Amino acid sequence: MSVAAEASIWRVPPRWVLLVALLSIACAEIGGASMARFKVELTRWARDRMLARPAVHGLVGVRDVDERILDEALVKFDAGLRLFHMHAEGMGLVIIATTMTTATLVHSDAGRRALIALFTVGGAGYPFGYLLWSALIPFYGIQTGKTVAEWLVWIPFGGAAIVASWWLAALLGARLVRRA
Amino acid sequence: MPQAANNDKPGAAVIMSGPVRRPPLAVVLVAIAMMALGETAGAAMSRLKPEIQRYAAARVAANPQAHGFSGSAEYDDEVRAQAIFSAEAALSFFHLHAEGVGLVLFFASTLVAAFTPGRRARALLYGLLTLGGLFPLGYLVYGAAVLELGRDAGIDLAERWILAPLGVSAIAGLLALMLVAARRRA
Repeated sequence: MSVAAEASIWRVPPRWVLLVALLSIACAEIGGASMARFKVELTRWARDRMLARPAVHGLVGVRDVDERILDEALVKFDAGLRLFHMHAEGMGLVIIATTMTTATLVHSDAGRRALIALFTVGGAGYPFGYLLWSALIPFYGIQTGKTVAEWLVWIPFGGAAIVASWWLAALLGARLVRRA
Repeated sequence: MPQAANNDKPGAAVIMSGPVRRPPLAVVLVAIAMMALGETAGAAMSRLKPEIQRYAAARVAANPQAHGFSGSAEYDDEVRAQAIFSAEAALSFFHLHAEGVGLVLFFASTLVAAFTPGRRARALLYGLLTLGGLFPLGYLVYGAAVLELGRDAGIDLAERWILAPLGVSAIAGLLALMLVAARRRA
């Protein structure tokens, strides 16, 4: 194949990257199916954990007040699971698209490796923050759970994916300008 | 387009695909930039929620006539809350659509590169799909226009001049790609 023809074809990213992306999509699908199949069990589990920790959730022992607080926490618990499902599905595809672009269009070895690692680790790790948030809500409350998920997962992993995206966009933009 | 081969022969090795052509750099750049914008908007929505709400409230307060404030605190509060909600919803739609449409542009333009015959036809499809790839930007305009022009006028402006034309371009590009695929098959 000529050099010109080779320059216009996609290169496949490393196999481990594709595996991680597919795993992310599979986890999302399993998450979605589990949410539907075990909705009642999950809600009951979260509710029991919350009732066992009244101080954490600000439960006062008055049914009308407590039910509203529990409902709000359960909505967030469910939202966390749904956001995990949605983001893991989407980020799996984003990993495939961005690492394919990197493998094909980034010529520096070090840059390519760094970008592929950032996209894969950031993209695959980020959605698990939503799962962590959901898991923490019954034990630590909505806000504390969110703060923990934010600092442990969303900021480092999401930050990695965002930095990589803009880095790649800048490299492609510079290449386009050079060519023009 | 490289074809799957040997799949009809039992026991034979299945050849999945040969090399797949890629779309032009500019198209890939738009797709990647759109995904980057989508991710950044998602982070901003989460980390800067109070700041965004404050900014939106300030813009609504700066344009009282556009929002039809009456001087009645109760009515004005409701109008303000609706405008802020619409602006936040626009940012949320932008996040969702930018990620999704970026991916659609990436994979659809790869299909164009792989099996659309003729340079002109490919250029036309790239053009339509890339314009369609800019569709999510309409939601940024939507959010800003709602705050500056009032809810109804802002939504009308974004829908009429940006979301509808770019959305139609995306749909036309995808339909044309379907026709190309169907003709190849025939």
